[in-house]
Amino acid sequence: MPIEIPKDKWPGKIQSVTIGAAAAEGGTRTKSITIGGQTCMPYLHYEAPMPNRPVIAIEIKSRKPDDWSSLLAEVWGDAMNDPAQWAKKAEEAGADLLVLALTLADSPEDAVKAVKAVLGASGLPLVVWGPGQAEKDNELLVPVAEAAKGEKLVLGICEDKNYRTIVATAMANGHLVQARTPMDVNLSKQLNILISDMGMPHDRIIMDPTTGALGYGIEYGYSVMERLRLAALQGDTMTQQPMMVTPGFEAWKTKESKVGEGVPESWGDWKARAINWETLTAIALVESGADIVVLRHPESVKRVSEAIGELISV
Amino acid sequence: MEHTVIFTTEDNKTATVTVPTNTMLADAAHIAGIDIGQPCGGQGRCGRCAVQVTDGNVRRRSTLRLSPADVEQGYALACQTVVEGDVSIYVPPQEKIERRLTTDRVVAEVTVPADYDYDLAQSIRRVHLQLTPPTMEDQIDDWSRLQTAFRLQANMQNVNCSLHLLQTMGETLRAGEWQVTAVIERDIDNPDKPIRLIELYPGYVDEYSPLWGCAIDIGTTTVSLWLVDLISGQVKAQVAEYNGQIARGEDVISRIIFAGKNGGGQEMRQRVLDTINDLLETACKRVKAKPEDVMKATVAGNSTMIHLLLGIPAGSIRLSPFITAVNHPPLMTAKDVGINIHHEGTVDCLPGVASYVGADITAGVLSSGLERAENVTLFIDIGTNGETVLGNRDWLVTCACSAGPAFEGAGVMNGMRATQGAIEEVWISNDTLEPTYRVIGGGKPKGICGSGLISLLSEAFLTGVIDKAGNVNLTAGSSRVREGTHGGEYVVAWGAETESGEDIVMSRVDIDNLLRAKAAIYAGFTVLADTVGIPLETTDKVLVGGSFGKYINVEKAVQIGLLPDMDWPRFEFLGNTSVKGAYYALLDWRKRERITEIAKRMTYVELSADNSFYEAFTSALFLPHTDLSKFPSVEAALHKA
Repeated sequence: MPIEIPKDKWPGKIQSVTIGAAAAEGGTRTKSITIGGQTCMPYLHYEAPMPNRPVIAIEIKSRKPDDWSSLLAEVWGDAMNDPAQWAKKAEEAGADLLVLALTLADSPEDAVKAVKAVLGASGLPLVVWGPGQAEKDNELLVPVAEAAKGEKLVLGICEDKNYRTIVATAMANGHLVQARTPMDVNLSKQLNILISDMGMPHDRIIMDPTTGALGYGIEYGYSVMERLRLAALQGDTMTQQPMMVTPGFEAWKTKESKVGEGVPESWGDWKARAINWETLTAIALVESGADIVVLRHPESVKRVSEAIGELISV
Repeated sequence: MEHTVIFTTEDNKTATVTVPTNTMLADAAHIAGIDIGQPCGGQGRCGRCAVQVTDGNVRRRSTLRLSPADVEQGYALACQTVVEGDVSIYVPPQEKIERRLTTDRVVAEVTVPADYDYDLAQSIRRVHLQLTPPTMEDQIDDWSRLQTAFRLQANMQNVNCSLHLLQTMGETLRAGEWQVTAVIERDIDNPDKPIRLIELYPGYVDEYSPLWGCAIDIGTTTVSLWLVDLISGQVKAQVAEYNGQIARGEDVISRIIFAGKNGGGQEMRQRVLDTINDLLETACKRVKAKPEDVMKATVAGNSTMIHLLLGIPAGSIRLSPFITAVNHPPLMTAKDVGINIHHEGTVDCLPGVASYVGADITAGVLSSGLERAENVTLFIDIGTNGETVLGNRDWLVTCACSAGPAFEGAGVMNGMRATQGAIEEVWISNDTLEPTYRVIGGGKPKGICGSGLISLLSEAFLTGVIDKAGNVNLTAGSSRVREGTHGGEYVVAWGAETESGEDIVMSRVDIDNLLRAKAAIYAGFTVLADTVGIPLETTDKVLVGGSFGKYINVEKAVQIGLLPDMDWPRFEFLGNTSVKGAYYALLDWRKRERITEIAKRMTYVELSADNSFYEAFTSALFLPHTDLSKFPSVEAALHKA
């Protein structure tokens, strides 16, 4: 007996967003990336094609971080001392785009210099994060946005208490913004509204609903992303932004990834465990609808990339 | 082209001017020397400049604040309407406009219930007795002599009295030369039950002189007391003050915790008694009476307030499974409770439903008329505990949520109660971001009361002073907007204009408190309506209670998402429904019985049972709401701004 698989037809569509501008569009990127555009829940190819594959960003920093796992220091080596070198290595490792995180130690000049160096070293689209303190973020991101005018960077991280300056400078200089909210459907929607209210076009907002690592609240993050996607497909325009999440950051702060000694033997090999932790966290989020996952370890990038390849092949 | 405009004012004075096509009516009036008030600065937002076009052609650019019926009658906003031909305009007096705009929002003056009959309804009575003086032949004791008089002259067969009265009785009888006035309390439903003698006065007290009782509402934030003449039924004095317990916790939970500490319960009890007794004294002074002349106090309040008043441990209210010690306390004497009315006077604490739905709500359901409503009606008490009742004469469901005291002006930097000196309404100019405000009593402002805060929040939102999340826009380009000690703030009144000489501001913290309060209340009634499957828009009426001033402005309460977006005529503002319910119960024993019935009929919905309340709360934590489609009128107003 033939079985007919029921198909959902949704009134809503995820916003298509393009990151990075090539010379013809006023930037210097060798390629740009488009995400979003879905018209069904993730990977239901029999309902509708996936117009764009999820992409992987690798997170690098303007200065060598002293709080990252020694496993990461080992794999990136000296490149961590030089953002341009690090960017090149990240591109070689298979990144679709780069995230450059600025630090509290950076002056506005340092920040601009680091961004320029990365843009010079790699042709990949770029996301730039401030160090995560409202005043400092604004102080660094404004000159960066001006110096990289037209590159279609993604500037982050906008939060509901601090979004105006970042959005204003992104609008003035042709960039995009990353809008982060604590894991909650309503809060994500509210920040999208606030940013739209300033006049930012929808195709330049990427939402970051925040996530937790495997074993540290990923279920909640997963569920929020799934509900955001359902709301978007049901036609709620203020939840139709593509989603960007940071499984690398989350996974590498868990004890399982960070600590190699004094843990039960049954936990197994430290390095294998740490990479598994990042990979599994990322793949779960990709399956819940993430459009960009930000990772830290090259091996995880390879594995997540393979998993995405399988998911999108019909 | 030139047109003739004839203005007529209330006193039948006319003024005629000639103006070109498209002249604004307000400008034409100005040329004609007629003053039309424009508190919102001519933005067409306050509706105070409405005039009536009695003849001729005008074009209304906006009719915001006017109903279709108003326009039908020729009303037009002078600041939004231009001349397109010869016209005649009637300029109504300013107060009349205010009254017209606020018709449905003015709290009704306290009128004595039409069916009040002292003889039939009142359990407290004053009785004149003429005793036969004792002689050598008639050596019957004083108390038996008094009881005989009660039997023969008042048909009261069974009268009890206290030891204290016995101690003073002999002296009173002789001082009055065997003529006395007794104040007694009877149980109207059970005539066989003993009648309690409260007080004995020597001689005859004038039968029309007031017989005092008081109705008290113990709110978490505000305590209100009405002093009532039980003979006429009239409310002779209304007083209110912040609950002295606020110093030991702003919400019921923190008060319960404090009361659970060593000596805490006693302190809490004393604090609220001090507040009540101060209010009693103030009210009595106003009518030249003494607190001990008050023979009965009927008390409404949430369950925690009643427990703390009576010194009953309230800890079990806070902890699962959330049980009160008593929902319906028995009648008590004032000397036991500690309220300074007549020491033998009765204190009647009205019955509540559950830990978080107390006597304030059962009393509110009575006084709001909800229990007799034919159609489904929503009753919202905008207070610290945000209780909501939905239903009609056949069924009642209720819930409570912690909203906080912001709408009563507490927990807000420049907040105050709705009394003299409170800013009760604010308008902000779209162009300059300069405010215009109205102060209760008209003098220098001292602070902002609940209705002023609602109005201020709404205006700040519509003019872009704050964004939908309540962030103050520091780049708005006005000196009124500045970085304060607690984040961004908006200056409503500069120090030079205020009573204290300090600036009156709305801070980021205030905005957060207001947002949380309005979100909790909105979430409460939406979840309640969802629970019983009644779409909010199908409710016939929305009755709003709370310790506001004269009224709150529906439009602004809707704009901030505190009240649902419905036609304004469906809202009714009732003021403090709890004290009013206590007043009805004080007057009429049958109404008192009805409150007991209401308490039994109400079904309590526990909002913490699942996460639907939290969802509704976070989506309401936005201006007006995350889902703007729920607020079409606000969407339209935003579009205009």
